Amino acid sequence: MSIKLFITLVSTPWPESATLYQPLKEDQILLSDCASSLAVQAYLRMCGLPVQVVCRANAEYMSPSGKIPFIHVGNQVVSELGPIVQFTKAKGNSLSDGLDDIQRAEMKAYMELVNNMLLTAELYIQWCDDATAAEISRPRYSSPYSWPLSNILAYQKQWEVRRKMNAVGWGGKTLEQVYEDVNQCCQALSQRLGTQPYFFNKQPTELDALVFGHLFTILTTRLTSTELAERIKSYSNLLSFCRRIEQTYFEDKSS
Amino acid sequence: MGTVHARSLDPLPMRGPELGVQPDDIEAPDIEHEPKQEVLENKNVVVQRVHIDGLGRTKDDVLTYEIAEVFQAKNLIDVMRRSHEARQKLLRLGIFRKVEVVIDTSRGEHALPNGLDVTFEVTELRRMTGSYNTMVGNNEGSMVLGLKLPNVLGRAEKMTFQFSYGTKETSYGLSFFKPQPGNFERNISLNVYKVTGQFPWSSLRETDRGVSGELSFPVWKTNQTLKWEGVWRELGCLARTASFAVREESGHSLKSSLSHSMVIDTRNSSILPRKGALMKIHQELAGYTGGDASFLKEDFEIQLNKTLFWDSVLSASLWGGLLLPIGDKPTNIADRFYLGGPTSIRGFSMYSMGPQSEDMAGDYLGGEGYWAGGLHLYTPLPFRPGKGGFGDLFRTHFFLNAGNLCNLNYGEGPQAHLKKLAECIRWSYGVGVVLRLGNIARLELNYCIPMGVQSGDRICDGFQFGAGIRFL
Repeated sequence: MSIKLFITLVSTPWPESATLYQPLKEDQILLSDCASSLAVQAYLRMCGLPVQVVCRANAEYMSPSGKIPFIHVGNQVVSELGPIVQFTKAKGNSLSDGLDDIQRAEMKAYMELVNNMLLTAELYIQWCDDATAAEISRPRYSSPYSWPLSNILAYQKQWEVRRKMNAVGWGGKTLEQVYEDVNQCCQALSQRLGTQPYFFNKQPTELDALVFGHLFTILTTRLTSTELAERIKSYSNLLSFCRRIEQTYFEDKSS
Repeated sequence: MGTVHARSLDPLPMRGPELGVQPDDIEAPDIEHEPKQEVLENKNVVVQRVHIDGLGRTKDDVLTYEIAEVFQAKNLIDVMRRSHEARQKLLRLGIFRKVEVVIDTSRGEHALPNGLDVTFEVTELRRMTGSYNTMVGNNEGSMVLGLKLPNVLGRAEKMTFQFSYGTKETSYGLSFFKPQPGNFERNISLNVYKVTGQFPWSSLRETDRGVSGELSFPVWKTNQTLKWEGVWRELGCLARTASFAVREESGHSLKSSLSHSMVIDTRNSSILPRKGALMKIHQELAGYTGGDASFLKEDFEIQLNKTLFWDSVLSASLWGGLLLPIGDKPTNIADRFYLGGPTSIRGFSMYSMGPQSEDMAGDYLGGEGYWAGGLHLYTPLPFRPGKGGFGDLFRTHFFLNAGNLCNLNYGEGPQAHLKKLAECIRWSYGVGVVLRLGNIARLELNYCIPMGVQSGDRICDGFQFGAGIRFL
């Protein structure tokens, strides 16, 4: 990987001081943000690009697009997995170079599936389910701020997410329907993965990083009920997939 | 004896009262007139009745304090003087459009031979007045709508609402003011506001939503103000090219602060004073009444003016301030001081001096300590064109400005701080023309020569235009 970096003359090399910003790990970060952040971290580790993870209470507002995570490389700031993948590609690092056009289209389709299903389900459970919102999401989201700002920001975020859910047509869904959607998404992923180590060939791609980020976070995050995690546990190849990536790329990380 | 009519006093308080005598009362020649006047002046009079005509919604008890002094007058001249003062007091309440005084001899059953009736004929202000202005400012045009409700509850309370809709930002504010009956200088004021601002020199935009309560009262010769303010501040980057230092400050914070300020102002005018001095000391403590921000902020302003020969005025001013963070968190960019520009150190661009971000954007981050001084010599325009009229609003001035803005490392002692503020002083000198706008603002057009420019400062040498309320 370092030889590849050395060969690219056009772009500046990946600096040692590259940093990834996310909300505070212990008290503040929520399931959906944690999943997105873990996906980016997994991707960068798969590329062999070192990055330092820094936690800031205002990470969401620091981000140029308002979404977590974002990376600060040199004097550039890039947020979200899609643009980060493009950014690293411009610097000569890509995991999907070995794919042909059909496979690349398939990969994009599955990434869309994960974003539209898993990520939306996470947001729904966090903010549209009253129990979870009151017990977990609002207290965590507002923890760095003092009263009354904490309440204002938490409710503002909740209204914003609920409006977005209505806009994508999830406003009328029940929790059971959401769990069922997650189940179907996992079924599709499980079928595609089959017995392979990764989704495409024997090398991981950004799709692997994205799926790992979401599934691993769901499995290891405490929610008001364990239903979501149970749905994923029923697919054993997804479980071993998560374990494999964790062991290969996150050996120093304790789950 | 005949009727003694004191005609209504002129609306301009500067001129004295006019004393008119009915022509048909004067029959005797001038010599005889003199003794008549003397007799009236020396004569003891008693003010029997003072009343106010024309009240609508104003409550009586507020006004009795203002007119009480008139009862103590002993002779006619005293009555006129006290009535004039009472008229001033009634006008400063801000609830009357016009106040006229009529002094007449007493009539009726209980009238004494030397008794006088004083009547104040007032016209109240309308219940609601509106104003509409358009404003063009820093790269932005806006429409400002104002609503004023004077004397809302009958005791000189005032409610104002202002709404500003601009091409870039929208702001509004609601304020309620209530003076203490009988003691207008003691008053409280409550405000609710949302203000947005864009600061291109820092690539920062700030939205403040806040409430504040203010209590003002005079103590001896000073005017003291105590204020509590709670503000929800939202900071954001103005452009994608903002520096990372500014990006790190983006987000929300809550400031809850108590502040106190003391003002002694003996100047004859706040814009282009000819004599007198101003001293203003202000301190703010944040963090002890809640909120995220925690600091102690001190700043002061001193100005001295003296008229010299040939109608010229020498003016010296000094500003300074210090921001001390309390606790571990560093200071917030919205609390720090900024320096430079046509209203402080002329010859430098607006707020473009001092600590700066290190990357290409070069955003100015403000400093925790500053001082600035100015020395001006104001003279009338050469050859005095338009003397006595429009030309009097202009002045030429020769100025010398100096100052410094930096961050202080509070681990070191005060000696190190003084040394730091004394090195790398920026200064400038030049000449310009000042135009006075009413009693509130002034415009300046200066030719500046900046000196002591440090690397990173942005200068504006040559002609610089400035408009504002508070100038160094």
